[in-house]
Amino acid sequence: MPVAVLERGERGPVVLSASTEARAEGVTTGLRRREAETRCPGLIVADADPHVEARAFEAVARAVEAFTPRLVLDRPGRLAFPTRGPSRYFGGDESLAARVLAAVGEVGTVDARLGVADGAFAAGLAARAATPGTAHVVPAGESPAFLSEWSVAALGDPELADLLTRLGLRTMGAFAALPAPSVLGRFGPSGARAYRLALGLDEHPPALEEPPPELTETAELDPPATQVETAAFVAKGLADRLLERLEVRGMACTRVTIEAETEHGERLARCWRHDGALTPEALAARVRWQLEGWLTGRENSDEDIDVTAGLTLLRLAPDEIVPLDGRQLGFWGGDQAAADRAGRALARVQGMLGHFGELVTPVLQGGRTPAERVRWVPWGDPREPLRPVDAVRAPGANVAEMPPWPGALPDPAPARVFDLPLAAEFLDRDGQPVVVSGRGDPSAPPARLRCAELPGGGGDIAAWVGPWAHDLRWWDRKTRARCARWEVVVTPGVACLVAVTGGHATVEAIYD
Amino acid sequence: MPLAALPRRDEQARARLAETGEIARPIVHAGERALPVSGELGELIPALRRGSVIAVEGEPGAGATSIALRLAAAATAAGEWAAAVELHGSIGGLAAAEAGVVLERFAVARRVPPTRWAAVVAALLDGIGLVLAEVPPYARVGDARRLAARARERGVVLVGVGGWPAEAALRVWAEGSEWRGLGCGTGLLAARDLGVRVEGHGVPAHGVVPVARAG
Repeated sequence: MPVAVLERGERGPVVLSASTEARAEGVTTGLRRREAETRCPGLIVADADPHVEARAFEAVARAVEAFTPRLVLDRPGRLAFPTRGPSRYFGGDESLAARVLAAVGEVGTVDARLGVADGAFAAGLAARAATPGTAHVVPAGESPAFLSEWSVAALGDPELADLLTRLGLRTMGAFAALPAPSVLGRFGPSGARAYRLALGLDEHPPALEEPPPELTETAELDPPATQVETAAFVAKGLADRLLERLEVRGMACTRVTIEAETEHGERLARCWRHDGALTPEALAARVRWQLEGWLTGRENSDEDIDVTAGLTLLRLAPDEIVPLDGRQLGFWGGDQAAADRAGRALARVQGMLGHFGELVTPVLQGGRTPAERVRWVPWGDPREPLRPVDAVRAPGANVAEMPPWPGALPDPAPARVFDLPLAAEFLDRDGQPVVVSGRGDPSAPPARLRCAELPGGGGDIAAWVGPWAHDLRWWDRKTRARCARWEVVVTPGVACLVAVTGGHATVEAIYD
Repeated sequence: MPLAALPRRDEQARARLAETGEIARPIVHAGERALPVSGELGELIPALRRGSVIAVEGEPGAGATSIALRLAAAATAAGEWAAAVELHGSIGGLAAAEAGVVLERFAVARRVPPTRWAAVVAALLDGIGLVLAEVPPYARVGDARRLAARARERGVVLVGVGGWPAEAALRVWAEGSEWRGLGCGTGLLAARDLGVRVEGHGVPAHGVVPVARAG
């Protein structure tokens, strides 16, 4: 059965991963959803849910832990471990890879892919080159040759990859052939990092110094936390404090060990890493994923799980720290400072409103009515419209087209649009309610509008136009909505948008 | 790299950096302390002084919300952020965009309970360049004065929409409007003549603003 998991990309949902059947039809990572569905009719798509994935992946991490304690998780679905010791013990890379795949298969993951190479980055690409359920082993010392064929897009920095491609450096081999000082001079620190990767080295030079123990952040949980939410809330504070203290020292953290102790004295530890420096959000997300694995996994599994009681202690220990060389703030503040200030104030307001109200920001989207054409996005969520507002390209078409919205209400937009439309009476000259027939013809021209919220309770209609008859989703009995709308001006000069649904009139908006 | 060799980014170093920034900061002229209002409304209200309170009033449908949104547009046009505080939640996002508000820098707190209204507005005044606050009925004069003082201290424009109970640098009344372009069953709402009365220092007292395509 062809299945694809989608994540939110910059311009709508893109494929994060696809099953073997879907890959056979040409569905690849990073493909837009429509394109994927065109290439593979009958494709079943699902949204990525990192929390569920974290729960499921915990079983895999446990299986691999039997071979080596030094595994490092990247995100749910991807982990790495150094092979030198285990390979020697189990009789070589191939033998180790086969054993790990067998152990992972026993916990139900049959299409795991495994790569062995000289560094974490090259090993990741080797895993991508392997077919599901097998391993791709790059012999020692041959990683640069293995990498040289890959496109620069695999470096994971789209901007840099775009620039390199335009400069004619399409493969990592071509990029790696440049002299190192020139790369640093032309592309800066981020370019130098990518250059190290293309050479088959690790992202950073190996840290010679152990992070000092006083950087470890610990929190005791009393009462013990049995819910993910409770523990994750504490972990968020720990993550913020840890990164703040590192920043004061001019350091950033690339790898962190999450440790926990339970009421029954069990000790748990797991190491997580991130490409580049961990931000507070990325760190908090990783702690949350790990907690999902520990706390939720034990309920629906009868294996010998370590966690038998609530967590009493949480500890975040930086495992690898590097000098912070990324961010340079503007000297005079400027827009970034204003944005930071605004962000802090809005975060505070969001906390104050809690469940009473909401803090939102408008995003324009496609639609027919003023209410439909705006999506109110909670503050902090991605500002993405549900329905495209610009021209979009249909699958297979060469030209972008504006999505048609037949019967859309014309500009200008009303300044007051009510969530709950105001009850009103919309009457003709004889005092009868104005209704529309099944074909969208009005029963009579409107003459009066009564509504308690209008000044003077409404009045005679001086001018009007309509109706715009909307018959939405007529193919679906449950969500079908029929509605007719008029623009009216009530004396003395109040313009409203009146809607009639099922014989009942409401004022949907006022042009205030 | 040994840890001790790195420059420390502690409070002292930050304070020194901030001080140097203050000294080297370009001079700010009085004109830049104000947010220029563009368009038709700009002929009546040329600019909003930072740190001042502006009260906008008018019956439903008279045009008070449109005026308030145009003032918010003045702030976002200058690169500032704007936020609105609403008791129910009915500001039209599309109308805000048409008035010229940059939506990426515009947030709306909706369904704010009247008991928390003053606290929410005060928190927004700490970090936002212009705050549109819908005033709840029976708002206390003391609260309003405290908010005005905070706006002055932070250099933020506070726009009270509907019944601001305390003093204001500018008072703007929307006095009803005349719509053009719509007949009986024909035409479309096209333009409006918005009657606006302004009281305050340095502004003409009365005027009718012809506004094309404004809701």
